[in-house]
Amino acid sequence: MLRSIAFAITLVVFIVLLAYATAVGALGPLPPPHLRRLAVCVLNTTYNPALLRLGFSADAPEGVTAVVWDYRGLDTVFETVVLYGAIIGTLALYRQVLKSEERRESHSSERAEALRGGLSTVVKVATAVIVIAIGAVGAATGLHGQLTPGGGFQAGSILAVIPVVLLVVFSRDFLIRSGVRYARMVLLRNVGLIGIGLTALGLAVVATLIGVRGFVLQNQPHDGSPIGYPKWVLDVPSGGSLLFFNVFEMLAVVAGFTIVFLVLSLREDAAREEIRGEERGC
Amino acid sequence: MLAAELVFGMLAAAALASVIATVLAVESRDLLKAVVFSALQSVAYTLMYFLLMAPDIVLVYAAVAVGIYPLILILLIKKVGRYEG
Repeated sequence: MLRSIAFAITLVVFIVLLAYATAVGALGPLPPPHLRRLAVCVLNTTYNPALLRLGFSADAPEGVTAVVWDYRGLDTVFETVVLYGAIIGTLALYRQVLKSEERRESHSSERAEALRGGLSTVVKVATAVIVIAIGAVGAATGLHGQLTPGGGFQAGSILAVIPVVLLVVFSRDFLIRSGVRYARMVLLRNVGLIGIGLTALGLAVVATLIGVRGFVLQNQPHDGSPIGYPKWVLDVPSGGSLLFFNVFEMLAVVAGFTIVFLVLSLREDAAREEIRGEERGC
Repeated sequence: MLAAELVFGMLAAAALASVIATVLAVESRDLLKAVVFSALQSVAYTLMYFLLMAPDIVLVYAAVAVGIYPLILILLIKKVGRYEG
């Protein structure tokens, strides 16, 4: 008990000291309370029809998404590639195990049998309803990323809750039986990444073909380049390339998370058996 | 100015709640309870991000910290056993 109190007091003292040091400026100058020049510039150019005619507007109602995919698009592309590499690395480590698991699962239990595992029927029915709601929220976050706070990564991580919930409430077998397989998830992830790449290169390629100026990761016309992505989808502002980036990023993120969950929920004994077999050289 | 004070007051309350939840999570010998306390701490952080006007972070933080992370930990706890010791 005494130990717990001492721990709590230490934590509080540490936080108070850190807050005090920050407040007096020991960790560098404090941010000014008014808007900085960069923020003013971004706010002025994000959605400004007057500037758009001059070629100085991102034409996206949501500032954060515009900064993430337009002003600082290259940063985000690299971020996505890093996450992709990490997940491919995980898969490479488990390649042999995953292959044998897939083979075993593809002709093991029937669907009805897979449904029998997991938690009680009450929990399952409630989960089935909630999963639909999570899917709707995720899709709305991704597809409206250029209008309201949210975007591809946010939507992907909201949608990734679905496979985890299904994994816990139903079972791994159920998830695999429903068609959530490694190969498919890797395919979906690749589709997302190729989509991001094509959206980034799209205008540069088109510009080269028709013989005008164009840039990689370009969104709206600017700096001597007359072409741009469509500004409207039906009667909704689409933010040009932002809508495409958000949708493809959503696919890539949800598939990536699902792959990680499938790897994490592997049966330990099956994985061990496979590794032992490898050590024996068969 | 009252609104700003209210925001700072709520920030302080959320920060305090997160510290208490963190202490409980570290101290708990029951790992399942520790995960719940950790999620509670995340809820306090989510509120703080919202008060600091970062709704984009709130969306991803709520999904990861309250949904994905506790469920992954519960999967792991299922493998290693519920009680520390």
